[in-house]
Amino acid sequence: MIERRPAWLGISTWALAVVLAIVSIGPAAWLLAIALQPPGTDLREIGLSATFDNFAAAWRDGSLAGPLVNSVVVTFARALLNVLIAALAAYPLARMRFPARNLIFVLLLCTMMVPEQVVLVPMFRIVVGMGLYDTLAAVVLPFSVTAFGIFLCRQAFMAIPASLEEAARIDGAGPLRIWWHVMLPLAAPTLATLGLFSIIGAWSDLLWPLIVLQSRDAMTLPVAVNALQGTFATNPRAVYAGAVLSLVPILVIFALLQRFMKPEMFGGAVKG
Amino acid sequence: MKAPRPRFGLTPFAFLSPAAAVLGVFFLGAVAQVVYYSFTRYTAFSGPDFVGLENYRRLLASERFWACLGNSAIYLLVTPAIIALSLAAAIVVESLGSRGRWLRLALFLPVITPTIVAGVAWRLILNEDSGLLNSALAMVGLDPVPWLSRHPWTLVSAMFVTLWKGFGFYMMVFLAGLLAVPRELREAAALDGASRLGVFRAVTLPALAPSIVLVFIVSSISALKVFDELFVLAKGSPIAQQTAVPLLYRIAFEEGDYGLASALGLSIFLFILSFSLVNLRLSARSEEAAS
Repeated sequence: MIERRPAWLGISTWALAVVLAIVSIGPAAWLLAIALQPPGTDLREIGLSATFDNFAAAWRDGSLAGPLVNSVVVTFARALLNVLIAALAAYPLARMRFPARNLIFVLLLCTMMVPEQVVLVPMFRIVVGMGLYDTLAAVVLPFSVTAFGIFLCRQAFMAIPASLEEAARIDGAGPLRIWWHVMLPLAAPTLATLGLFSIIGAWSDLLWPLIVLQSRDAMTLPVAVNALQGTFATNPRAVYAGAVLSLVPILVIFALLQRFMKPEMFGGAVKG
Repeated sequence: MKAPRPRFGLTPFAFLSPAAAVLGVFFLGAVAQVVYYSFTRYTAFSGPDFVGLENYRRLLASERFWACLGNSAIYLLVTPAIIALSLAAAIVVESLGSRGRWLRLALFLPVITPTIVAGVAWRLILNEDSGLLNSALAMVGLDPVPWLSRHPWTLVSAMFVTLWKGFGFYMMVFLAGLLAVPRELREAAALDGASRLGVFRAVTLPALAPSIVLVFIVSSISALKVFDELFVLAKGSPIAQQTAVPLLYRIAFEEGDYGLASALGLSIFLFILSFSLVNLRLSARSEEAAS
């Protein structure tokens, strides 16, 4: 170390770190604290008595079990398909020469430029036309791959030495086997990152499920939590409890996968 | 002798076909349709029948279109706040070194929190009678702010949530940029007698310029696309006090006017596209001026 950090700088860095942490964790912690309060208590009596009644009410009367299962299915289907389809498409784009390659690149960039919000109406009509309205497939299918995911995988594949691929080819492996046995394992950290991004996005998705889902049986958790606000107009604490419950699974998944969240991935993520 | 270049035949297209099917139908096909629909009278009950520019005429003549577009422009103010906060957070995390890991994870909590949950939590904090924020304001002798009921405070509240949910993500982008600045470069500048602020201005900030441009463009695009935050925080307020995508949702899925909604969708796209192009042009020019 060439120079010593002055004391005031160290202290203010830590102070700022604590403030940032409180701002980030505070709202969810506050939500939890109030959800644990018995109904009808004053907000200022926070922490004096705790009860799980609100959680039980949200779970039972808000019937969150079905939406929880739906959200888990949708989230994992979307993450799995995103990784698989993107990795498939990225392989030839990273490693093969073929006609129309540049055209495909341009088309991919175009899909990246159009936000889903712009094409909501035709997307909705297409889903209805396929007979998928009010099914979980309608939530999964349109978002089962993104151009962003394809570019992310392509970058990871391009970093893999060609000699490994060549060796496998000399051993007689076809393209599909090379993709599965050579490319996928070596790009695993990137694939995990893409999976994590897809999981976070799918778990939180509100607008599209709101449009294509109608019946209680098909609701995902964000839609169900939104509906809780009507069910529990007289006991808002049950709504808070439901909101906390829907946060738990994503917290667990994040805790398991957070080691794949490296800053380098975000540098690449934004550059596409 | 050189080995012959491997021939791939149809293999690349087989690998590409699932992605092509999804993106072709749901994005490229949808883009073609949204353009066509925007020129038709098309409702939940009838159509589409070609009507030329009728939808665009109705859109431009409607007050709520301009009000919502104006509110979307106001919403863009969240972008500089995001850049400032996420850059500051990245600097703090980076200077803590390996001890910054816990902070990095804490700052990512808002990113993984579903917007509906974030909205419910923030409604609690922004509650006008009993919320934390108004209580804090009262403590320093300020009047309560109608965060959830009065324009433009509802917009400001939604922007709070966007900022809160977004800055941890962009912090990681800046962190990637900071970690890519060679340590020797900073140490050399410090050896030459530059102050900390001097090193930051002369070495770190220029190295971060591309990240800043990217975060600016990405976060402003997502500000123009905002829906969830307003749906949760400003649901009760009149549509003219919300932004462009909530208006699209209202027109398409509550009023069932697909033609008009398609024209609005394309207008939003053109708005986003022109805004991004202007930004890219400006940032390219400022880079030229700097070099």
